[in-house]
Amino acid sequence: MSALNRAGRVASVLLAAVLFAGVARPAAAQTIGDRLGRIVGGAARIVRTMLPISTDKEVEIGRGIAATIAGRYPLVQDSALTLYVNLVGLTVAGESPRPDITYRFAVLETPDVNAFAAPGGYIFVTRGALGLMENEAELAGVLAHEVGHVNRRHVIEGLRKSDMMQSIRDESGLTGTTLDRAVGQGANAIFSGYSREDESEADSLGVEYAAGAGYDPQGLPTFVAHLNRHAGEGPVAELFATHEAPDARLARLARIVARDSLRGGVTLPERFAAQLHPSAAAPAAPAPQAKPATPARPPARVIPQPTRRRKPKPPGE
Amino acid sequence: MEAGRRSLARALRHAGARALRRGAGNNPTTCARPVFGAASGSRAARAALVGALVLAALAPAAEAQKAQWSDAVYVPGRWTAGRFVAAPTSNGNTDALALVMRVDYFTKAPRLRMEVRRSADGQTFGAPQVLLGNGADVQVVTAVGATPLARHALNNDTLVRAALAAASGGRLQGAANGRLVERLGDGSVGRVVFRRSVRSPAFEDAMLDPRNASAGRQFLSRSIASVGDQRSTAVVATAGARGVDRIQTPHGSVPVTPDSLAITRMEAFPVSAMTLEEFLRQGALGPYAVRGDSTGGHQ
Repeated sequence: MSALNRAGRVASVLLAAVLFAGVARPAAAQTIGDRLGRIVGGAARIVRTMLPISTDKEVEIGRGIAATIAGRYPLVQDSALTLYVNLVGLTVAGESPRPDITYRFAVLETPDVNAFAAPGGYIFVTRGALGLMENEAELAGVLAHEVGHVNRRHVIEGLRKSDMMQSIRDESGLTGTTLDRAVGQGANAIFSGYSREDESEADSLGVEYAAGAGYDPQGLPTFVAHLNRHAGEGPVAELFATHEAPDARLARLARIVARDSLRGGVTLPERFAAQLHPSAAAPAAPAPQAKPATPARPPARVIPQPTRRRKPKPPGE
Repeated sequence: MEAGRRSLARALRHAGARALRRGAGNNPTTCARPVFGAASGSRAARAALVGALVLAALAPAAEAQKAQWSDAVYVPGRWTAGRFVAAPTSNGNTDALALVMRVDYFTKAPRLRMEVRRSADGQTFGAPQVLLGNGADVQVVTAVGATPLARHALNNDTLVRAALAAASGGRLQGAANGRLVERLGDGSVGRVVFRRSVRSPAFEDAMLDPRNASAGRQFLSRSIASVGDQRSTAVVATAGARGVDRIQTPHGSVPVTPDSLAITRMEAFPVSAMTLEEFLRQGALGPYAVRGDSTGGHQ
C-alpha cells in the first residue's frame, strides 16, 4: 500500500511539473485547447507507465506464462531431480531481496538448451541445459540469472510500458481477455528474448546472487563458455537467437566478476553429478565440498535426447 | 519497489527531456533570438528535470536504512527419533548441534519484524510466528490481531528472547554473516547461529507497520517470507490465468497447449525448509560458507 501511496504522491508532483512546463511554453501557433490536450495526454501516458502491478497480479500473469511454457515443453517427472533443482534455486533465490515472491523451479523435458523465468517466481531449466553443465555452481549461475529477471520484473515492466496498458485504468482491468493478452505478450517476450539491457542486468544479478550464496561466481561464465563450444548445434539455436553472442557475454561477465571482486565459492561437481547421473555416481551420501583444485569432470558430456515429447515439433520452428 | 523507482526516475527524465526538446524545437527563433516564452519553457523543463533527479537521488537514501537477514539457530544436542536430546558443551567448535529454529529479520530502525519458525521434531519447522517491534515494545501478530509480547507465551521462550536481542532497536547486533557462538553464564555453548544477510533488502515498509497487524490473518498470509515448507499458497489459490495457445519464437509462431495442471503440481511440490537448511549445510553454502567464527556475548 505504501508503494501505491508513494507512486501517487510522485505522480502528482510529476503531473504538476509537466503541466507547468507545458503551460509555460511560448504562445506558438497552437490553441490553448490543443496544447492542454497534448499535455494531459502525455501526462496520462506517463502516469500509466507508473501504475503499479501488484505481486498478486504479477503471480497471476506469471502463472499463465508458466502454463504456456509447460505447454510447450513437458515438465520432467523425476522428483529427486526436481527437488535438487529447487534446492539449488532456493539457495540463490535466498540472496534476492523479494520476500513477497515464492520461487518454484522445474526441469523441462527437451534437448533444447535454455532456461526461462515467468513473473511471480516460476523458473524452468531444460534437461538439455543440465546436460551441458559440469557442476552445481553452473546450475546456480543459470538459475540465479533467471531469478534476476523475476526480481527486476523484466516481463512486468515490459507490459507496463506496452500499448496494452493504455487501454485500462489500473491493474483491476487485467482480467479476462485483457489478462490473456498480457499473458500472451509476456510469453512472447520470454520466448523471443529480453532486451540487451535486461539480459545484462540479469547476468549481473545472477553472478551476484550465486556468489552471495557461496557458489563460485564463475559458474554462469563457465556455462556460457560451454554454449560457445556448441554454437551452430540445433539445441542451442534458439538460445543463440535470443541472447547476446557468447563471446561478448563472456567479456561482460568477466567485467562483472572483476568489478565486484568476486572470488572463491564452491562448485560441488560431485553432488551435481550424483543428481544428474545417479547410476554412475558413488553410493556415498553427498557431502560438503570446497572447490577442488582440479574439478572432476563427468566422463562425457552429451546433450541428452528427450525421453518423450508431448507432440512433434511444428514446422518452421 | 526498486524497479518502480527506477522506471519512475526514467519516466521523469524522459518527461523532462521531451519538455526540453519541445521548448527549443517549436520556436524557430529560439537559437537566433531567445524569446521570453521559450526561455521560461526551458527553465521550467530544467526545473522539472532537476526535480526528477533530486527525487531519484533521494529515494535510494530512504531505502538504505533497511536490513534483512536470516538466522539458523542451533543448540548443542541431537534430534533422535523426533526428540531433542541435549549435549551440553563448552566447545565452541562443536559439531554436535541440532537445528531448532529459524528466524527471518526485516528491520528499518527502530522498526523490526521477526518471523520465527521453531522445530518440534527436527524434521519440519512449525508455522511462522510474527513479531513486530517499534523500538519501544514488541507485539506478537496472530490471525486475530496483535498481543504484546509481555503477555504472550513466547516471552518465556529463551531462544526467542535471545533472537530478539540480536535485533535490538531494529538494528543488527553482531556479525552480519557467518557462524556466531553465544555462551551461557557458565561458559557453556548456549546457541550457535549461522547468519546470512541480504545485501540489498527491498521489502515493503508495510511489513513493518504495526497498524497492519489488526488485519490479522490477511496480513500474515500476504506478507510472510516464503521459506521451504512455509510457502504461501494464498496467492496462487486465486490465480486463474490459462496461458495462451500460440507463441512467437525466433523461428516463427508455434502452437502450444497451456498446461495449468503442471503448474499446479509445480506449486504443490514439497520442499521442506529443514531439507533446504541441510542442503546448505552440506554444501557449505549460504550462512554455512566458512567465513570464520564470531563469538557472541552471554545470553
